Amino acid sequence: MEFKDYYQILDVDENADLKEIKKAYRRLALKFHPDMNPDEGAEEKFKQVAEAYEVLKDDTKRAEYDEMKRYGSSSTKGFEAPPGWQTSGDFGAGNSGSSADFSEFFNSFFAGGKQGFRQTEQQEPDLFKGQDLDMEVPVFLEESVSGVTKHLEYQVPVFDGRQTQQIKKSLKVKIPQGISDGERIRVKGQGAPSQGAAGGKKILNGDLFLHIRLVPHPLFDVQGINILLTVPLTPWEAALGTKLEVPTLDGKINLNIPANSHSGKKLRIKGKGLKSKTIQGDLLAILKIDIPPSTTNETKRLWEQLAEVEQYNPRTDWSN
Amino acid sequence: MTNITLSMHLDELCLSADISQEAINAVVEYGIVTPLEGDTLSEWVFDLESAHWIKKAIKLNQELQIDWVATAMVINLMRQKQQLKTENNQLKIRLSRLL
Repeated sequence: MEFKDYYQILDVDENADLKEIKKAYRRLALKFHPDMNPDEGAEEKFKQVAEAYEVLKDDTKRAEYDEMKRYGSSSTKGFEAPPGWQTSGDFGAGNSGSSADFSEFFNSFFAGGKQGFRQTEQQEPDLFKGQDLDMEVPVFLEESVSGVTKHLEYQVPVFDGRQTQQIKKSLKVKIPQGISDGERIRVKGQGAPSQGAAGGKKILNGDLFLHIRLVPHPLFDVQGINILLTVPLTPWEAALGTKLEVPTLDGKINLNIPANSHSGKKLRIKGKGLKSKTIQGDLLAILKIDIPPSTTNETKRLWEQLAEVEQYNPRTDWSN
Repeated sequence: MTNITLSMHLDELCLSADISQEAINAVVEYGIVTPLEGDTLSEWVFDLESAHWIKKAIKLNQELQIDWVATAMVINLMRQKQQLKTENNQLKIRLSRLL
């Protein structure tokens, strides 16, 4: 087991008072909190800072830590507490409630009792629940329309009292029809097992929370319950109008493109979007005019002919 | 087959995240989330998106030792950031189809 120098982690002197320790913790917590700092390693650093503060903010834990720091010894096997060393507080080794986020060093000597950042005094609970887990699940648009059963594989942290091991788990989950991007699903009891103690206490597994991520579709975009489809047209199709076969989520349909359609024009096809509990969305076909990539002499001549005949100026606004 | 749900009762949320009813009450009082249903505290049910923000708000409030006004502001900004990020990604994809 590796010894943790909590004073060094918080960057405070060994004689620092509680006010200084608190100040150091706040500064480092703001700097490394995973919600504030996306950098790799920030979360691990925050855990170390939180662990150090958990011990140093508590007079009893701090006194015992200081004693251990002074008289403990390090060997090739790692850190060893002073001979005959015993905790005197309510956080002694072997109690329930150790933290899977904290180090083996912490869990061996300071785990248990009142833990973490609870603001209010709480009684020992009658029920111990395991850690909830979060997982992102990619879902294809077609799957969200029809519903799908997903085979999930994930890792569950199992704490054996000294360290946490990652155990592989697999699960089949039915993703309900009509699920949208960003929605969450709770799978009861499929999170981490409880670390709770025996002694007649009830134990319960944590839950698994699935965060749905809609995979970008090669053709369609989603806007609420509407589906957007970009329809490329040649300039003459846009000018003269045409009839096209366009894809929808449930097969192809014919779409009339009116003459003189401009780029960006939206054509609404009722009822061909996504379905919510109460309403049916539409398909919005957005027109995009594509110029042929290469021009033959004949085509160039026709364009030149058009330029001579057509007086349209799309930049009239610029003259003001 | 697995047992899935799309909402959480107050008691389940307290147990799930090891948080107190008082803390959840503060999150609602400061307008961070609104219960999906239930007139009184003991009847409150939250959708899972709200449950996610409740957990995050209480964690930030405790771990960063900030007050509830600051917590509400941070959560509000985080939600806005997430929404803008999603919108930005969607618009980038749409723009690439039009170019």
